Amino acid sequence: MRTFTRLLLFLSFFLFVSPASFSKNFSPYGGTIVLSTTSDPKSFNDIIAKETSTTAVTSLIFEGLTTVNAFNLKVEPNLAKSWTISEDGLTWTFYLRKDVLWNDGVPFSADDVVFTFNSLIYNDEIPSSSRDIFTIDGKKFDIKKIDDGTVQFILPVKFAPFLRSMGQSILPKHKLEEVVKNKKFNFTWGIDTNPYEIVGTGPFQLVAYKPGERLVFKSNPYYWKKSAQGQKLPFLEKIVYLIVQNPETALLKFIDGELDYYALSGKDFPLLKPQEKKNNFTIFETGPSFGTNFIVFNQNLGVNEKTQKPFVEEKKLKWFTNVSFRQAVSHAIDRKKIIEILNNGLGFEQYSPISQADGFWYNPDVKTYGYDLDRARRILKEAGFEDRNKDGIIEDSDGSPVEFNLYTNSGAIERIQIAGIIIHDLEKLGMKVNFKILEFNALVSKLTSTFDWDAILLGLTGGGADPHFGQNVWISSGQLHMWYPRQKEPATHWERRIDEIFSEAVKELNEETRKKLYDEFQMIVSEQVPLIYTVLTSNIFAVRNKFGNLKPTNYGGPFHNIEEIYIK
Amino acid sequence: MFKYILKRIIVAIPLLLAMSLLTFWLMEKTPGNFFDSLKLDPQISQETIVRYEHLYQLDKPMLYRYLIWLKNLLTGEWGYSFFYNVPVSRVLGPRIFNTFILSLSSLLVTWLFAIPLGIWAAVRRNKWVDKILSFLSFSALSMPSFFLAMLLLYMVSYTGLLPLGGMRSAHYDDLGFFPKVIDLLKHLIIPTIVISLGSIAALQRIMRGNILEVLRQQYILTARAKGLPEHIVFYRHALRNAINPLITLFGYELSGLLGGAALTEIMCNWPGLGSLMLTAVRSKDVYLVMASMLMGGILLLLGNLIADILLAFSDPRIRL
Repeated sequence: MRTFTRLLLFLSFFLFVSPASFSKNFSPYGGTIVLSTTSDPKSFNDIIAKETSTTAVTSLIFEGLTTVNAFNLKVEPNLAKSWTISEDGLTWTFYLRKDVLWNDGVPFSADDVVFTFNSLIYNDEIPSSSRDIFTIDGKKFDIKKIDDGTVQFILPVKFAPFLRSMGQSILPKHKLEEVVKNKKFNFTWGIDTNPYEIVGTGPFQLVAYKPGERLVFKSNPYYWKKSAQGQKLPFLEKIVYLIVQNPETALLKFIDGELDYYALSGKDFPLLKPQEKKNNFTIFETGPSFGTNFIVFNQNLGVNEKTQKPFVEEKKLKWFTNVSFRQAVSHAIDRKKIIEILNNGLGFEQYSPISQADGFWYNPDVKTYGYDLDRARRILKEAGFEDRNKDGIIEDSDGSPVEFNLYTNSGAIERIQIAGIIIHDLEKLGMKVNFKILEFNALVSKLTSTFDWDAILLGLTGGGADPHFGQNVWISSGQLHMWYPRQKEPATHWERRIDEIFSEAVKELNEETRKKLYDEFQMIVSEQVPLIYTVLTSNIFAVRNKFGNLKPTNYGGPFHNIEEIYIK
Repeated sequence: MFKYILKRIIVAIPLLLAMSLLTFWLMEKTPGNFFDSLKLDPQISQETIVRYEHLYQLDKPMLYRYLIWLKNLLTGEWGYSFFYNVPVSRVLGPRIFNTFILSLSSLLVTWLFAIPLGIWAAVRRNKWVDKILSFLSFSALSMPSFFLAMLLLYMVSYTGLLPLGGMRSAHYDDLGFFPKVIDLLKHLIIPTIVISLGSIAALQRIMRGNILEVLRQQYILTARAKGLPEHIVFYRHALRNAINPLITLFGYELSGLLGGAALTEIMCNWPGLGSLMLTAVRSKDVYLVMASMLMGGILLLLGNLIADILLAFSDPRIRL
């Protein structure tokens, strides 16, 4: 009997917390959430948008055929309610939802999908950054409307990340057809547009933008999605994004109650944590972030055509192409200390080229390099590096002292701090490291056109949920294959194997088989360490305690389900 | 007079041309271009970047692009921003207005406080007022503006008296006319103090020094000798002469109207030109930089011209 009562209590508890049991007088509708962003959007044109401060905003307005589940990172239906795939894996047929309206009341149809791809993304006059995703070996997809509710994509070859890439925002044909005809699309939906002209299917629509001050969104009355209980979504009436450039000012605004959300770094944690109760907020720490920081050594075998000099000095090239040298450096990186000093212990050591944040694709068995200076010295000694003349600097087997330049870009304070810690340890190994901080553009020039560098500490943007989209970094012919870009033939056997893995995996539609391939790729990279990874910071954010349905995830952050969030 | 102004304007044209060419050249010669940040995005291919550079004519020679820009300028087109994909005037317009309001308010506050304080300190030379003022001036001068801004913002965050940065409240649009003005003024207080405090201190010292120097002149001795009352000696003879050098300074300050507040703007979250220009220069958004540089240049020349004209009015020894 007692257990039964307990069970009853337990069940009633669930009834109370479930959103189905809003009390009679309570309405989840209405209210405003105030967020902040560090920079202004550059455009509201999702096709030509080139950076994240824009896409963060447009993702509230536009939707794609598919979306990624923020909890398990699997692809889910969105504007398309289902899809089928042909035997040969090349023809994908999407069945669209019939109940979707644009936020000006016009029905959404297959024409919009075909228009977005054929007239916008594949339009030669439009500088669309998504075009590369939908072009394989220089071939486009063939996109056809079957009827109003059905679209067919015929791919030139099998393309495993296809479904994931269908998260591409769909734009309204009825609004943009004329503009494209008049060749004015590139300048459409810029920051000076009347917000009501910007039409999407997403849960919110833009109603005001004041440059440098704020963006205001209101709920889209025509939004199609319903809650699990069949209620119309979204619940919130307004979203206000304040544009606050200075994170310190944003922190004050958050503490003051003006902002409902603040993304903090490890160093803010001790300041905010004790205030949770008093200032009525909760700090969530969801796991590792996507952003990486790594050291790369220049292994470019090429020769400067103008001066006929090699890009990298011969002796240095010998060190950098030596895997023992790179492994020794990896052992000399005190990742625990970096996490402790920079992030108050909130962070993760990284050894795999795929971030732990990626969940499914991450291979936990990769080779790790714990901080061990003795071991690093041993590895170096076996490879012929030793301090023979006792001047404190190690020499290679030909007697040249090991000295190189390490670059990073100005502005990235965290990177500069990481470099400081690493250099301190490399000096203990007897290497002479000259640390140089360059302006971002100057660093990119070195990396992508002049190739005159020894070592760089850097992080990469982009990437994301599918390993294939990192291929420009990993295949030997890629222009972001930083240690030796645009090779005609893979210079080493392991680079050849990585090339094979990437070209195989992109055609492999079975996820398990595909994962095995990427697991092997991660093993190779962790053994050869062409990029020596350092640490991943934690995703930490503080949210005011006033929202219902708040289900933060590491991938989607606190507001991935913004349409379901309501004010308690 | 008109002939003089015309002459000055004609002289200004080659100066502006040289200035713009130099800026264009500097933007060109520093490494990289706007699309560099894309080069580090693994999802964007080499071909796409080449296509972008072609579309925005970055593959053309520098002089060609400069001449095109100049030609467009003559037809009133200031070029397009790479970053925002709209004409630069649309990006700059609202920002210029915001910066202008802040600069104007700090200019007013600076001069309204500095001149009387300078006079006061000069009159009470070596008395306790002078000593306190000079102590305060040196403290204000040695305080970095970003630190002052942070300090004031913390104070505000504790007391809740004033808004925490920004230019308008979130509910600004729902207000009537007078509440709107009051809202704006409240937001203006902190950035104005941050910008003005140092300038007041400096200007007050200059004013004091000028007066003391003039008071040592022989014509002051003459005026006193012929028995003029002290207040006439001071206000009619000494002050007018002491203020002339400041008028030239005023001209220079006019040119700083658009660019002088960048750091404070960023700290106080004021939606002005400062941060916009910082990112524009760093990301090599050439035409945005060119436009703001040109405006700064025009303001500088204009400020000097206005100062010269004002000087001609206030100092009968100068004739244009």
